[in-house]
Amino acid sequence: MEILKYIGSFFVLLGSVFLFLGALGIYRMPDVYNRLQAGTKSSTLGAMSMLLGIGFLQPDWMVKMIVIIIFIAVSNPLSSHALARGAYRAGLSLFQKEKIDAYEKDYKSMEDKEL
Amino acid sequence: MIFNIIFFSLLAIIILAAAIYAVVQKDLLYAVIATGVISLVLSIYFFIMQAPDVALTEAAIGIALTTIIFVITIRNTSRREDEIPVNKEPDREEETK
Amino acid sequence: MKRAFILLLLVVVGWVLADTFSQINFGESRMGDIKQQETVGAYYLNNTVEKLSVANVVTAIVVNYRGFDTLGEVTVLFLAASGLASILYRRKKRGEHDVMILKNSSQLLQTGAKLIFPAILVLGAYVFIHGHLTPGGGFQGGAIIASGFLLMFMAYKDYHVSHNVLTWVESIAGILFVSVGIWGLISGATFLENILGTGTLNDLVSGGIIPLIYIAVGFKVAAELTGVLETLLNFKTEK
Repeated sequence: MEILKYIGSFFVLLGSVFLFLGALGIYRMPDVYNRLQAGTKSSTLGAMSMLLGIGFLQPDWMVKMIVIIIFIAVSNPLSSHALARGAYRAGLSLFQKEKIDAYEKDYKSMEDKEL
Repeated sequence: MIFNIIFFSLLAIIILAAAIYAVVQKDLLYAVIATGVISLVLSIYFFIMQAPDVALTEAAIGIALTTIIFVITIRNTSRREDEIPVNKEPDREEETK
Repeated sequence: MKRAFILLLLVVVGWVLADTFSQINFGESRMGDIKQQETVGAYYLNNTVEKLSVANVVTAIVVNYRGFDTLGEVTVLFLAASGLASILYRRKKRGEHDVMILKNSSQLLQTGAKLIFPAILVLGAYVFIHGHLTPGGGFQGGAIIASGFLLMFMAYKDYHVSHNVLTWVESIAGILFVSVGIWGLISGATFLENILGTGTLNDLVSGGIIPLIYIAVGFKVAAELTGVLETLLNFKTEK
């Protein structure tokens, strides 16, 4: 049982480190898209490993934790995708002057198809 | 103990700031998002004060449904507070006067 | 005459208020000590687990001791939803599509919404079926289910929930709630009396009428909130 405790503590520590890095990224990055990337990627991994660590610390909850991990793995990238798309549609610009906008052509063609 | 005091005061300051921002802001969409922030912090408060029932209600209704209903209403009327709503037709009102 | 009447009314109201408040000492704790036996809170905390075998005391108060209030709350929600629908709802002509969401959302969001939607429904049902065991209950579960429907409304442009189905679900849930109350009257007790056997603590089927009422409340709240969202999203101002 001791070894489970150590594994669980390690995963919780890993998760909190990732969550801290995500918060730092949100503070540090220059525009919306970079912030979204920093926030959601690190918070997905951080929350998942933290829940896994809790599952190791309390072995009765392991099944529930795995269900929550699957839910986060589906829903968190989805919400960040929707946020980024909404930000692009609202016309928020990139922070650089010489911008490389790979999504622009797709977006224009899609607009033409719909309207 | 000191950590508790700092944490609770921080949450209370966030609630107060968001409430004042929601009242002062003329752009109604921003004001609605500020009320959503109030609900979020309030649900954290409820959860810390050992009322998970109320926290669940606040999270489901205050953050999700109320915000969405307000956003839909704003999309149907007008976004700024001092603007004339779309449906009102100011010309006809002046004629009747 | 009118002013004299208003003044008289004010004096009466003020006298009643002053009489009530003068009996309370300033700064006194009105709830009393929770370990004292006389207070209502102490009665609930001491007797709920033994008499009703319900783990969640809040649920026992909301549904069992204060069941009539819950019926009133559900009625208020029903009145709000039907008032909104009576103002905004109009029957669409054949082939007419005036939904507010004009653009389809992305492929990724549509697939993901299809994947998550059943999970949200199951979570809401779990919350209101286990209302007497874990935190949560009918209102919370109904709101969670309505937010799941909201996700589908956002993801799909042409997603509709039939108003007939919503009306039927809502009416049957309301009839279930009231008939559980009248069942108490028929069997010789008061309205909404807990007449069923309470079972053992921490079982799914325990607590008498509490799970029945919470299931009814959950369906009712979910149908009402989904109806509100559907009505609002299908309404379009003439610009």
